[in-house]
Amino acid sequence: MDFLKRFGKRLGFMVLTMIAMSFLIFFLVEIMPGDVAQTVLGQSATEESVAALRARMGLDDPFHLRYLRWAGGFIRGDLGESLYMRGVQINTIFWRKVGHSIILALTALLFYVPLSLFFGVLAGVKAGKVTDSIISFFGLATMALPEFVSGIILITIFSVRLKLLPITSIIPIGENLWQNLNILFLPALSITFVMFGYVSRMQRSSMITVMKADYIRAAILKGMPRNYVIFRHALKNALLPTITIIGMNMGWLFGGLIVVETLFGFPGLGSLTMSAIKTRDIPLIEACVLFITFIFVLSTFITDMMYAYLNPRIRFKRGDV
Amino acid sequence: MKRQILILASLFAIAAMVFAGGQQDTEEKMILKVAEQVPNLITPGSWDGQAFSLNGSIYDYLIEMDADTGELVPALATDWSTPEGKVWTIKLRKGVKFHDGSAFTSADVKFTLERTQDPDLGHLKAQDFEILEKIETPDDHTVVITLKEPYPTFNFIFTDYNMAILSSEYDYVSKGESAPMGTGPFKLENLIPKESALLVKNDSYWAAGLPKADELRIYFVPDIDSSVSLLEAGQVDIVPQISPVIKRRLEALDGFKVLSPYQESRFIAMAQDREPFSDNKVRLAFKYTMDPEILAKACQGTLGKEIFYNETPIVNGLAQYKEIPFRGRDINRAKELLAEAGYPNGLTVEFFYASDHPYGTDIAQTVKELAAPAGINLDLKGFPRDIYLSQHWLNGPMLLTGWGVRVDPSMLLMLAYHSEGPWNESHMNNPRVDELIEMIRGEVSPQTRQGYYDELQDIFQEEGTVINLQVPYLVGVSNAVKDYRQPVTMLPQLKYATIE
Repeated sequence: MDFLKRFGKRLGFMVLTMIAMSFLIFFLVEIMPGDVAQTVLGQSATEESVAALRARMGLDDPFHLRYLRWAGGFIRGDLGESLYMRGVQINTIFWRKVGHSIILALTALLFYVPLSLFFGVLAGVKAGKVTDSIISFFGLATMALPEFVSGIILITIFSVRLKLLPITSIIPIGENLWQNLNILFLPALSITFVMFGYVSRMQRSSMITVMKADYIRAAILKGMPRNYVIFRHALKNALLPTITIIGMNMGWLFGGLIVVETLFGFPGLGSLTMSAIKTRDIPLIEACVLFITFIFVLSTFITDMMYAYLNPRIRFKRGDV
Repeated sequence: MKRQILILASLFAIAAMVFAGGQQDTEEKMILKVAEQVPNLITPGSWDGQAFSLNGSIYDYLIEMDADTGELVPALATDWSTPEGKVWTIKLRKGVKFHDGSAFTSADVKFTLERTQDPDLGHLKAQDFEILEKIETPDDHTVVITLKEPYPTFNFIFTDYNMAILSSEYDYVSKGESAPMGTGPFKLENLIPKESALLVKNDSYWAAGLPKADELRIYFVPDIDSSVSLLEAGQVDIVPQISPVIKRRLEALDGFKVLSPYQESRFIAMAQDREPFSDNKVRLAFKYTMDPEILAKACQGTLGKEIFYNETPIVNGLAQYKEIPFRGRDINRAKELLAEAGYPNGLTVEFFYASDHPYGTDIAQTVKELAAPAGINLDLKGFPRDIYLSQHWLNGPMLLTGWGVRVDPSMLLMLAYHSEGPWNESHMNNPRVDELIEMIRGEVSPQTRQGYYDELQDIFQEEGTVINLQVPYLVGVSNAVKDYRQPVTMLPQLKYATIE
């Protein structure tokens, strides 16, 4: 019951955050320098034609009306029309790229979660030994490299030297992403570089804390096999902080890969956002940013719920949630 | 343990899937693959010049230019004539069909020309066609255009990249960029905005045997380095608009060549309506600091061969060009002029340019070094090209902008040097120049017209607001590409190209 109550309350907060954020995004885009009608018509447009277009696009209506129209469209699933490519519905561009980004994010998760958990546990169990030092050093080194540096290193090794993988992640015309899964490899690997150090170090330190706990000592002294103790007793408890970290980075992973996607030319949400900003395609910027916000809010919500589910102290706590 | 083995096995399976992703290319079809910059607007009349391969293939023009000789050749118009430049009779090709199957008629030409005056569109040729008085269509294949005043070189406007002939039945307001359609050699089969376009051969194209390729695949790639990577990896065959540095890189590799189909201009514009260039002495002082040889080297070329330096906007290749010897670099004279203009201790001025445009950064940095000894300190403001064009171009006190060649120079003069020109980037305001431009447009006699051109170029030399560096436009192609044609109209004629 408490869990359900917590769920309801968090869901309410999530909706409130979204409303507040949508207002903020609309307001920020509103105060951005430059006039939309002027942008559409170009530098040589006359005053009258700019005024006429403003009226036709409904730009002369009061702020709250325009906000409600825009937000209403979003709720109905109508993301509007691109400003830079007239007649092109944002829905026709947007969801394809979102799909690509989700596939990339899942691939990256598949790469870095097992890797960093495994090495994090290993380093935690072997704390202070050579294995630990090597893993920690490698983790620190990859963490310190920004993704545009690690990306270029990966391109040099896998594409230029070994010629194994494509440099640019384009999808050949007439094919889809599923037929070209190899284009996911390098972007996912460079995300792994960024996340590995972060997650494995978190896993290592929580593993060390848990391994020192009395119940683990008791289990070992009772003569239980070491691996059984590590994987059955210690790991479950040591996973909690790591899950929070992974969850908190979900938003970034699903919507904020602007650098990685731009570097590899990957046709996802990040590169779409970048191109929308570069071309000042306001409805597209709004759609991208609002969607990324949604992903962030949603991933925080899910993490929260998972944490509550995994941690009985929160799950069964009475009273305040 | 079993479960762990299962997890490991599935991870391997997924990794194998990732690596297995390959592409089976379609056999026997001749496919041209181009990497082009991401087009923003592709509607003819308002595009900014980055979708040439796409638009030059979907649409046709009334008149084309022969890429080798530079002569005007019939396309959708088979014949054009005028007694004294005021009334133009244009005969249209018969039996031409739009991609939707509808017939091409004089109504479509009338629609295309009248559309330039639509105030909601911001058409880039609006000013050029203000001269229209009436357009008559006596039959389906004849258009009679009456101008308000004579304009003997009016026909050249039809080669402009914005003057693609559109269908009068197409709903441009609602369909816009989602389904561009014309009479061109290739039909748009599938467009994924900001990603790629698939075009297929137009089987009912009016020119027999054309296009030669079966398919045209265009990838919209945001930056030139990625485009060149695709070329090197064999994923595309043609990459237009590469920089001279990339040219050297490609020439060092086997299997690629760099074509230079025509020359284009880089104009250094000095705004006449604001300090310090409002004083002609400052403009002259700046011109005295230039060194064409060094500028040519900065552009990786040889002066007089690939690179040309002028202080007028008329380019060397055109008949209207007047040879004026270079004034010579003279730092002392530049200093004197600056002192006379009230800047004995030199001056600082902001210089805006597109840092990612070929030659942009090379020219800007070299010009800064050349001007410095005279006390002219250029504060370099480089921006990505889209930001430069949308925010700084037409506003800054000093600009470096890439310009394509207009076949009839009066088109360029009207656009950029007439005081009321929409792209008057140097804010030039010289009554005599305005008068000469208008006389050039109305003059029937080529000799008299050339006289006006000569006077104009002398004025530019002494009082002008521009330095014109002519640089080669470069296209990187794989050796398999044959017969790539691109005349100075800037539109690639991919209908001739083949892959061997």
